[in-house]
Amino acid sequence: MTPRRRGWSLRHYMAVFIAVLLVVASGAAVAVWTLTEQDARQAAAAEANFAAGAAAKEIANELALLRETTDGLAANPQAAVIVSTPGASCNLTFAGGILFTVGHVDVLDSDGAVKCSSRPRASGPVYGSAAWLPTSLHIPLMTAPYLDPATGQISIVVTSPIRGIGTILGVVALAPVGPNLAAMLGGARHLEFLVTTTDTNTVLARSLQPALWVGTKLAGTPFKGSAGPVERRDVDGTARLYGQAAVGSTTWSVFAGADRNAALAVADQFANWSLAIILAGVGMMLVGSFVVFRRIAEPVRRLSLVMRRSTTGTAVDAVAGTGASEVTALAEDFDDLMASVKRELADRLTSEHKAMISERNYRMLFESHPQPMWLYDVDTFAILKVNDAAIEDYGYSRDEFLNMTIKDIRPPQDVPKFLELMANSPTFDRSGPWSHTLKDGSTIQVVITSHAITFGEHHARFLLAENLTESRRLELELSQAQARAESNAELGRAKDEMLSVVSHEMRTPLASIVGFTELLVTRDLTPQQRKEYLEVMLQEGLRLTALITDFLDLRLIERGHQTMRLAPADIGALITRSIALTGDGGPPIELRLPDNLPLVRVDSDSIFRVLTNLLSNSRKYSPDGGAIVVGAGVVDGMMEVYVQDHGLGIPSDATTQVFEKFYRVEGADHRSIKGTGLGLAISKNIVEIHGGKIGVRSEGAGKGSLFYFTVPLAQERAQTGDVLVVEDDVGYAQLLEAELTLKGLSSIWAPDAETAEHLVPNVRSVVLDLVLPGLSGEAFLDRLRAGHGLGMPVVVLTLKDLDSAASMSLQRAGATAVLHKGSDSAAAAATILAATLDREKVAI
Amino acid sequence: MNGHVNGYHTPQGLPTLPTVVIADDEPSMRLLVHATIESDDYTVVEAGDGTQAWEMIQQHKPSLVLLDVQMPGKSGLEVLQLVKADPSLTSTRVILLTAKAQESDIETGLIAGADFYLTKPFSPLDLLTRVEEALQLT
Repeated sequence: MTPRRRGWSLRHYMAVFIAVLLVVASGAAVAVWTLTEQDARQAAAAEANFAAGAAAKEIANELALLRETTDGLAANPQAAVIVSTPGASCNLTFAGGILFTVGHVDVLDSDGAVKCSSRPRASGPVYGSAAWLPTSLHIPLMTAPYLDPATGQISIVVTSPIRGIGTILGVVALAPVGPNLAAMLGGARHLEFLVTTTDTNTVLARSLQPALWVGTKLAGTPFKGSAGPVERRDVDGTARLYGQAAVGSTTWSVFAGADRNAALAVADQFANWSLAIILAGVGMMLVGSFVVFRRIAEPVRRLSLVMRRSTTGTAVDAVAGTGASEVTALAEDFDDLMASVKRELADRLTSEHKAMISERNYRMLFESHPQPMWLYDVDTFAILKVNDAAIEDYGYSRDEFLNMTIKDIRPPQDVPKFLELMANSPTFDRSGPWSHTLKDGSTIQVVITSHAITFGEHHARFLLAENLTESRRLELELSQAQARAESNAELGRAKDEMLSVVSHEMRTPLASIVGFTELLVTRDLTPQQRKEYLEVMLQEGLRLTALITDFLDLRLIERGHQTMRLAPADIGALITRSIALTGDGGPPIELRLPDNLPLVRVDSDSIFRVLTNLLSNSRKYSPDGGAIVVGAGVVDGMMEVYVQDHGLGIPSDATTQVFEKFYRVEGADHRSIKGTGLGLAISKNIVEIHGGKIGVRSEGAGKGSLFYFTVPLAQERAQTGDVLVVEDDVGYAQLLEAELTLKGLSSIWAPDAETAEHLVPNVRSVVLDLVLPGLSGEAFLDRLRAGHGLGMPVVVLTLKDLDSAASMSLQRAGATAVLHKGSDSAAAAATILAATLDREKVAI
Repeated sequence: MNGHVNGYHTPQGLPTLPTVVIADDEPSMRLLVHATIESDDYTVVEAGDGTQAWEMIQQHKPSLVLLDVQMPGKSGLEVLQLVKADPSLTSTRVILLTAKAQESDIETGLIAGADFYLTKPFSPLDLLTRVEEALQLT
């Protein structure tokens, strides 16, 4: 078995699916994490930038406010007074701002001595050594960082000159500025604020640890060492995200820094959640896949195992409890399929086994049967098989038989009859007697039983021959044995009874004949008496003769020894002829025949006998006249013929008995009517041999009766051939047909001219006997020539020695050739062949 | 036609001749028997079946009955039994005529009380002898 390309298993697909799922999930997690972090970074940076800007603005505002204050004080004339007047009283207050919360305002003279201060205990010169003092007497200044000697704090110094004699000094401590910025703008991120001078890189303010860092240099700190303008470390080394802004007119910079880790922690948290969700999803997918795998792949695998082993166990059990409903349904379907397959297999095995046994029995029966048997092909007639009995009885070897056809064991004259029988034979058929020719040339009489059979590829027929000679001897032995055992044999009693009846029936006419003879011999009688007695004797003698004839005929027919030649026949012609034979005396006979009645398949002589018998009965039992009606018609595929009279009728209880031998209807009217008592029994036998039925319907005594019988219709295929032989002599017709067969011509037979008229269109030539019952040969020829012209060759047969004139007149009437019946039949066949083939006129 | 009376010409009330009844369903047989035994010494009456024969026997109280055994209606043997069973017919003689020719039939006939038995075909002269014997006995 070539391995089937299977593709991936479900397991493979599941693995790939899970791998892809993991890749996509991790990709998604990374992407989410990256994007979230970037977002968080940008948000923090933006916030820091904004805070730096706001801080720078606020610092600028507060500086401007301080400047405004000092400038305002310097412009006040009282300032000069205070500078120039020792001990002048003054009152200064440092209001402060939001950022600049700690500081003081002083009035200084040109030596830097404090003349007036917002501080409570300010006195004496403090700022004499300040570098900015000389300049500040003339122009406004701002300096930072500056270590305020008065407070010891690093501060911003703003001065405004008082007409060259002094200066207004504003001092703001830098230490609180950082924390104030953080308090004001630090927000949720707790931003770190760092204010530096750009030129000196000195820390002016810091929201964290201001005491440590204010006034220190940036150089060397991690802040200064960081490369990035946004992300850098603060002075303590903590990573931050910075925003930066310049403060107004100063050279100061404000940095607002968000703690980088804190800022990104949110993003990390978010990323972690996403990852957790993705992982949970992946996990659920894995579980789902596993379940699906368990519910489908595994049951399917088990199902597949069961199917592979498939002799034991059921698929439903294999997937029970684990399979998805589709799989279970599949398993059930599989089980059903398997069950039906097994059943069918078992049936087939059984029937094959039976067929084998039957064939073996059949072969044994065939081979060892004591009677000869053949099997032959119905198309070629070739003998296919022959049994030992046939080889022994017929003298041919098996090989010789197998090279023969079934036709070869028959005398040539029987072949057409055989072919006709085969053409019409039913599935099962028993017929005879037939002649079979043995190898030594002798002929035996056989009864043939045959039936159709299919043998290999042949349409065959099985044929069994019963040797009649032998069977008759056996029959005799049997009857002797039966006679010996008569005391207990039903058959013996029946025969006795029959013998008694026959004896009685014969003794009665015999008694009349013997008795009257004795009277004639012994008495002196008047001539009138003599005549009367002699007439009775004649009648009784005739009656006795008829009785013997009928009785022997009946026995022949009953035993199947009466030769019946079944052939297409015109029933109408038979009826018409039988009416003609019945004669003119008695009640009128009315004929009711529909047009175009199909041909029947009968032995014409026998059916003619049935018809004359029924007609004469009707006459006999219609003593008071009344019309007799004879008719025919097709009923249920059979030809039904009826004879109806208005005579004595038949009691309803006797309608079957009338067909029994010697049965007589009781009653005075019937008794006086003579007959052999065998006519209806003979008729019944004849009709039944034809496969028909006979019966009688009567309303009862005195109401007339209707006798009917049925016979089969002729089959179409039995109605065609090369030559139509119109001949009432069955024997001569058969001889001629056999010769025609030898010449290679097929033939069909018509017993009378009426039947022939139906068959003429189906043949190529006609052989015509001139002396026929009913329509004469001459009349038929006239009609044929009138209807068909000269196209149909007609070879005329005659018993008469025709002189040339008569022969000529026949030829003028349309005979193609004239043959004498006494001439050689082979030569006759040659003439017919010539006429058929050449359609030439041949004269003999 | 059946059952008509031949030769029944004795007027009623006068001393009557002995009567012979012939019963046979075959007309030719009745004709033969009738022709054979035709006589002025007795009257012959014909019957076509057993039933008719019994009616005539009861009517005529015949001296002799010639009975065919196988007849429609009543068989010859049935009529014979009726005759034997009828006290008014003790003097009636019966001769059976039959086509049956077997021993058992003859025995049956004689046991039933027939005076004689003739098998068809029979000799008419023989029959006449038997008839005369039977009538002389009366």
